[in-house]
Amino acid sequence: MAASNQLRRDFQDRDEMRQHLMEQFPDAAEVDSRLSPIPGGRGAAESRLNQFRALQYAGSRNFLDGEVSGLSPYTRYSVLTIAEVQEFVAGKFGLYRVYKFVQELAWRDYWQRLYFQLGEGIWQDREKNKTGIDASCYSAAMPDDIVHGQTGLACMDAFTNGLTANGYLHNHARMWFAAYVIHWRRVRWQAGARWFLQHLVDGDPASNNLSWQWVASTFSSKPYFFNRENLERYTNGKYCEQCPRRNACPFNAGYETLAAELFSPARSCGSKYEPSHTHE
Amino acid sequence: MSKVIQWIHDDLLRVTSDIPAIYVFDEEKLRSESWSLKRIGFIYECLLELPVIIQKGDPVAEVAQFAHNHGANTIRIARTPDPRLQSQAHQLARQFTIDLWAPEPFVNLSNPVDLRRFSRYWQKASRALGLDTRDRT
Ligand SMILES: Cc1cc2nc3c(=O)[nH]c(=O)nc-3n(C[C@H](O)[C@H](O)[C@H](O)COP(=O)(O)OP(=O)(O)OC[C@H]3O[C@@H](n4cnc5c(N)ncnc54)[C@H](O)[C@@H]3O)c2cc1C
Repeated sequence: MAASNQLRRDFQDRDEMRQHLMEQFPDAAEVDSRLSPIPGGRGAAESRLNQFRALQYAGSRNFLDGEVSGLSPYTRYSVLTIAEVQEFVAGKFGLYRVYKFVQELAWRDYWQRLYFQLGEGIWQDREKNKTGIDASCYSAAMPDDIVHGQTGLACMDAFTNGLTANGYLHNHARMWFAAYVIHWRRVRWQAGARWFLQHLVDGDPASNNLSWQWVASTFSSKPYFFNRENLERYTNGKYCEQCPRRNACPFNAGYETLAAELFSPARSCGSKYEPSHTHE
Repeated sequence: MSKVIQWIHDDLLRVTSDIPAIYVFDEEKLRSESWSLKRIGFIYECLLELPVIIQKGDPVAEVAQFAHNHGANTIRIARTPDPRLQSQAHQLARQFTIDLWAPEPFVNLSNPVDLRRFSRYWQKASRALGLDTRDRT
């Protein structure tokens, strides 16, 4: 009964599997033929869950090297459901002591409930944006320098490389990156969201698109953006120290200054950040 | 007596029992969304732990063929918010009985749930989870 479309299951190792997948999915291999270092499967999910130090989560989760669960690839496909994760963690540590973590799990539930309501509507602006800039002023495609990790900004280039090599980014990196794409480079959130979904092993249309919309302010009351001080703090300065543009950093200003620059109301499309523009 | 097969898809990479199971990589979708190999590889490794036939092509055609091969008239499918999977399930429903199921939910909320902002949802959800925000310890 073996059909011609049936794929193999008997591999000696991961590389043999990868070879098979490259033959079976040449288009995907052309996009990027690497595998994520994150292993698939329930066994891997359970060992992650067992290792997770949930009591450290609330205090450290915003730091790139903080304690996060790394469970999103598994919860995305319900290899492990967020209900199971919640039950396990609450049982092990006590529900109130993992309040923040349970609340983050709830974000997934919330986005999924919205997805049932919205369907393909998750690809459309939920609301008008609050940036003061007309929707038509945002470009439709991801700039090449971002996709190739060649912006010259050490942080953003590292996020691109992390995303395409690992299929995973820390939540804070996703937020900074999305803000850079939408607000500094003035790209439609849909272009960034689509690109994320090509690479994220936890790629989920609801969590992803609605988070992009949250950054864009088409699903929140104000746009999310950040400055160098904030990024430097939560990355312990590891990108800024090495950054070729550390003296020409577009994020190096106070929030008011940045807001005035980024969200200057529309005279036609207003001015936008150019890679040559700097804050000394 | 009804014979059942299960169609495993991306919103639930699990099998429910020992009834025959199939997963189909939706080639048209992967191509139009330009997936990288990483995503396929991750799903593949999840599938290798499950007793499931792995195929690629058009899910509706492949699942229907699989059901016919097993003489099944019922297809078990996990509930999904994904509009493309929903429409494929609808197409299968023309030929088969669909047995829709869902795993234990994260939280049981009585309808209607106000989803305009997370804070409104969380007010209800936290209480239902046993987390009353007023007496946090
Ligand atoms: C622009 C952008 C795009 C994103 N795209 C995705 C995506 O495609 N898929 C995805 O699962 N998450 C996405 N997120 C949410 C979040 O970044 C990831 O879920 C989280 O970083 C995963 O790492 P973790 O498992 O260690 O998270 P933890 O902090 O350990 O959280 C535990 C679990 O809670 C859930 N969760 C936590 N935060 C969120 C959140 N903000 N939204 C939804 N669920 C959450 C996840 O299931 C996660 O595994 C995105 C966020 C942003 C800002």
